[in-house]
Amino acid sequence: MSAPAVTRAPAAPAPLAPFVGLSTLWVQITGTWCNLECRHCINASGPRAPWLKPLDGETIRRAIREAEDLGVKEIYFTGGEPFLHGEILPLLERALDVAPTTVLTNGTLIGPEQADALAGLAARAPYSLEIRVSLDDPDRARNDAIRGEGAWAKAVEAVRRLRERGLLPIVTATEITAAAHPGPETMHGRFRDFLREQGVERPRLKIMPVFALGRQPASGEVPLTEEDLVGFDRSILQCADARVVAAGGIYACPILAGLPGARLSRGSLAESFRPAPLYHPACATCHRTGMTCRNS
Amino acid sequence: MPEQLGEYRRIAVLGGVYSNAPALEATLADARARGVEAVFCLGDMGGFGPHPNRVFPLLREHGVLAVQGNYDESLASGRTDCGCGYTDPRDNHYAAISYRYTFEGTSTEHKAWLGALPRHRRLKLGPHRVLMCHGSPRVINEFLWESATPDGLLRHLMERAEADVMLCTHTGIKWHRALRDARHAINVGVIGRPENDGRPNVWYTVLTAGPDLTVEFVPVHYDHETLAREMEREGLPPEFAETIRTGWWTTCLENLPARERARGKY
Repeated sequence: MSAPAVTRAPAAPAPLAPFVGLSTLWVQITGTWCNLECRHCINASGPRAPWLKPLDGETIRRAIREAEDLGVKEIYFTGGEPFLHGEILPLLERALDVAPTTVLTNGTLIGPEQADALAGLAARAPYSLEIRVSLDDPDRARNDAIRGEGAWAKAVEAVRRLRERGLLPIVTATEITAAAHPGPETMHGRFRDFLREQGVERPRLKIMPVFALGRQPASGEVPLTEEDLVGFDRSILQCADARVVAAGGIYACPILAGLPGARLSRGSLAESFRPAPLYHPACATCHRTGMTCRNS
Repeated sequence: MPEQLGEYRRIAVLGGVYSNAPALEATLADARARGVEAVFCLGDMGGFGPHPNRVFPLLREHGVLAVQGNYDESLASGRTDCGCGYTDPRDNHYAAISYRYTFEGTSTEHKAWLGALPRHRRLKLGPHRVLMCHGSPRVINEFLWESATPDGLLRHLMERAEADVMLCTHTGIKWHRALRDARHAINVGVIGRPENDGRPNVWYTVLTAGPDLTVEFVPVHYDHETLAREMEREGLPPEFAETIRTGWWTTCLENLPARERARGKY
């Protein structure tokens, strides 16, 4: 018996997000090379053979130069773990000459010398340096179950070290442990109380949804259709004013950096200034939550 | 036909009134004493303070030329939130209390006046082409903080707007950047709440034309204790009154960049 013929309507092209201008440049500096291997990592970063390669310093300097000419407002470094890159400090310094700059880190490599160097950078720079330290739960065991043994202690130590030097890191969490904490106390509230207990007088937080990709692919999200977007202002999506430089070219957003469907140019930023296809289930998370990877 | 621009030598520019009528009164008196030819306001008449209707007669009687802020746009169009652009839930909680109070307390007539305000104003200040906006020339609620606004972005915005001088507010903290190409970007500050420096005074800006532009930030002292008591009587959050009394921001500060945040108490 032969299999019944399957008839499928041809897939509709993905809806597009307009490009309104370059506000944010993301630098996927270490690709997916990381010293941790978190259970929910959006790009499945880890210590072995990164599927997305780190960038060389010259590619990054070129992108920063181009972004400056285009009136960029802010620059972000992410990975992977940016502090694995041998040129992270001079590249942060170069970015800070151009725009306020944020580095997203797991904090595990910020020892006393790195913390001193970051404090020096922050003091010299014309613009704000922001350091986002990832922590998924104030509770050590719950955090380490997601981020790996020892990750909590090192991240908390990094936050303390930065605070001692007058820096105000932004602790960045996902909502992955939200279900473990029913009751009226919000994640924001729990994290604030926790950070105050650690001596952080001005706790700063960024809490993001969990995305359905990387090591956490299963979710109810399905790709967006034109119908989903009726009456929705697409220009508020971050792919409307952000671009990412990563191995292989320029991509639409930091969540999808490295994926062929999100690549908008193989080289220059200016060539990537065209509408981005909202083709991925993760695009539905941005649409549903109104979320941005920016600090605020 | 090219647009006919008003021409001035000396003007006062204030931002963020936030229903602070006593500060507005003191600012207008101070500006008059300095011999300015006109007073401009960059929007956000309501929010934070008590008795929202009190600032409108002052603005109108003194012929203040205003542009629309995000708060004004929200009130005029019946939006359910202030459109301030906060992302932190605690900030949004306090912003919602303030907006609900202000929305209910602003008369229909004043809302209509807010709705008719222009988004931008242009004028000539001596040889300088001036562009006024609330947040930025491109987005009404864009935050342009001193430590988070690159020179390259300012040049980009001002070239597009064909302006030599850009004036904005929205963030609540004043700054002035003289760019290499003789352009000036100025955040004029706000008169509605102090600027998170531990002092209860507020600030506005006086601009004087010359071969180069003279920018003066002017401190304004007013009866802040009476205002704080009125806010308490109106049932506004005690955190708001604390800010008025102490000069430290207690709410709506999670989007401050690191450098500005480090200067504050909270």
